[in-house]
Amino acid sequence: MKVTNIGALGVIALVAFSACSSTPQAGGGKTIKIGTELPMSGAETANGEPTANGVKLAIKQANAKNEVPGYTLDVNVQDDAVNGAHDPQQGATNMHTLVADASVVGVVGPFNSNVAQAEIPISNAGGLTQCSPANTNTGLTYPPDSLKYRPNNPDKINYIRLAAPDSIQGPAGADYTFNDLKAKSVYILDDTETFGVGVGNSFEDQFKKDGGTVTKRDSAPKSTTDYTPLFTAAAAAKPEAVYLAGTTPTGMGLALKQGRTVAGFENIPFVGPDGIADLGPGGTTGATITVAGAGAHDVHGTVAGIHDLPAGSTFVADYTAEYGKAPGAYSAAGYACAQVIIAGIKAAVAGGKTDNAAIREAVRAGSTAAGNKFDTVVGSISFDKNGDITTPYMSFYKTDLTAEGGKGGWVYVKQQAFTDPNAQ
Amino acid sequence: MSIDRTRALRVVALVIGLLVVSFVVLGVQQFQNFLTLGAIYALIALGYTMVYGIIELINFAHGDIFMVGAFVSMWILTVPLGLSDRPIENPLELTAVLLVVVFGTMLFMGLVGAVIERFAYRPLRHAPRLAPLITAIGVSFILQNIVQAIFSPSPISVPQVFPRVKLDLLGGSIGVLNIFMVAVALLLMVALQLFVGRTRLGRAMRSTAQDREAAELMGVDINQTIAITFFIAAALAGSAGVIQGLYFGSIQFNLGFFAGLKAFTAAVLGGIGNTTGAAIGGFVIAFIEVLAAQLGFSRWSEVAVFTVLILVLVFRPSGLLGHALGERA
Repeated sequence: MKVTNIGALGVIALVAFSACSSTPQAGGGKTIKIGTELPMSGAETANGEPTANGVKLAIKQANAKNEVPGYTLDVNVQDDAVNGAHDPQQGATNMHTLVADASVVGVVGPFNSNVAQAEIPISNAGGLTQCSPANTNTGLTYPPDSLKYRPNNPDKINYIRLAAPDSIQGPAGADYTFNDLKAKSVYILDDTETFGVGVGNSFEDQFKKDGGTVTKRDSAPKSTTDYTPLFTAAAAAKPEAVYLAGTTPTGMGLALKQGRTVAGFENIPFVGPDGIADLGPGGTTGATITVAGAGAHDVHGTVAGIHDLPAGSTFVADYTAEYGKAPGAYSAAGYACAQVIIAGIKAAVAGGKTDNAAIREAVRAGSTAAGNKFDTVVGSISFDKNGDITTPYMSFYKTDLTAEGGKGGWVYVKQQAFTDPNAQ
Repeated sequence: MSIDRTRALRVVALVIGLLVVSFVVLGVQQFQNFLTLGAIYALIALGYTMVYGIIELINFAHGDIFMVGAFVSMWILTVPLGLSDRPIENPLELTAVLLVVVFGTMLFMGLVGAVIERFAYRPLRHAPRLAPLITAIGVSFILQNIVQAIFSPSPISVPQVFPRVKLDLLGGSIGVLNIFMVAVALLLMVALQLFVGRTRLGRAMRSTAQDREAAELMGVDINQTIAITFFIAAALAGSAGVIQGLYFGSIQFNLGFFAGLKAFTAAVLGGIGNTTGAAIGGFVIAFIEVLAAQLGFSRWSEVAVFTVLILVLVFRPSGLLGHALGERA
């Protein structure tokens, strides 16, 4: 840990130094960067990599079209996974690195809510826009919770997100479990993290409102190796479904695998948020279906984004051609976040801004400016005064172990549009 | 053999008491989970306590030896045996596979343990106590990083070759795999007791533990004895690794950290240096964890485990069974 920190400090120093000494290249135009801050290794590969690929594709296509005249766009990739799972401290270190890199004018990320909690104060102090494709914790944007992440500049919103918050995701999962899966009772297990507890709470509230029963609620930290006693204890009340409030890398994949071996849980549906529905096919490193193996049958999940891209979109074809595989759950959202930042850069440059710091500030101020709309791969979108997308979507998926040529995969069930959560 | 009769009776009473209480408190289903988890902790704790008994080293790399054992068993199952996630129904074939995996892993891990002792601990045998302790932490990191480099930091699936057959026993449904695991653990524990108590090498171990110089003067080959102790300790941890993989089905390079910490607690709980105590300590910790899950306090289970450790250290500093100088090894 210590060694990593010292190394990271070294990186910051180097970046700061090179930023001071770099001179604009003649001819090819100036290079301006979009950062990505995602978990890229280990069990998180299925989450971060396809999302970062979406960003890279957007940058590549923008450069090909010379979207920002006089500038070449580039990417600064940061990885917040430590020992194969996302780590808030690493995220904070990475955010310091990105803020210190003067050529970075916007960041796509992070993926996980507890990482966002650690990063927003740093990016806010640096005036750096963060567009998260996947964060869903409600308090990240909702006041008064959101204010404590902006102690320096409470009035400057620099954090926007494309994913629908858990105040939508949890209840959507609950309605789906109660109405579509027809389960009247549920056992809830969370991973004790910011995201897991938050989405578990909103699921629980809505499921009760629907008229369902929560037979038991448990919390188990990611250091848990044995989930069988939890499921054995929960079996007594005979729940008709299980809600895994958390992510596969924080133990919920293992919980699914072990839960399936306990009497009473062999065949009932397991439902989860987007931390479970990573849309990775079987065999993908760290994907839910890979971790749970044969136990991954009858698993349902919500993804806090749109599935059916607007008609005429070539995104899926372009992505598949570039990377040789289908997009992940948040690839399109990553692409759209990059588009929002690129649009901001374009407007700033067109408005005569040449200094990196001025472009950075223009991108930030433009993202939540009233009436500002962005044409993206997920449609024409805008962000409200808190930084939330005004047209959130929720998509539903389930596993099919015969899909993907027998390796197992996620199949699309339906999608649903919601209204601006802050307008309610 | 000077076994104190009252002591032996107390141990038996403790074991029976623990079993009865846990059965009544937990019910059949959770009793099964408790025994399975306890078997894993006990097997790891035995190695901790043996090594401490003989050279007074808290071998912090021991949890990682368990983790490496789990990966070796996964490798044996998938690469040389070429098995996948399909239960083997033929009992003869299953027995053959299990024998190969269990003994293959134990042998390999035993050698790993002996090699680690030779190169990491033996050169420091006369150094101040802190030196080998730091080395042990270093070895722990080395093992974790080697496994991470070879197998990636992601959770790795272990082929589920053991059929998930359940028997109706004692009014509940008990997994055959659970019975197998507990049986293997008990068998190894009994074998260890017999080895330490009844064989020449075992006597050499006990005498080395008691007084290294005197044992050496009496003709005991100290280096060989300590190497064998490490071999056995690591082989036992390896067997726990096999069980972990077969039962939980998913292993990760950092698996050894918490398992090692809990097994160490078990060893201290039972009286470090005392093999019977370590085994009992392992089951006590499993009982606390399963009880916490049963009562819905799973997020506090680690707090409960370490609270019990503190209480035992305050009121019985030498552990539940004491150091048992005479028979430690």
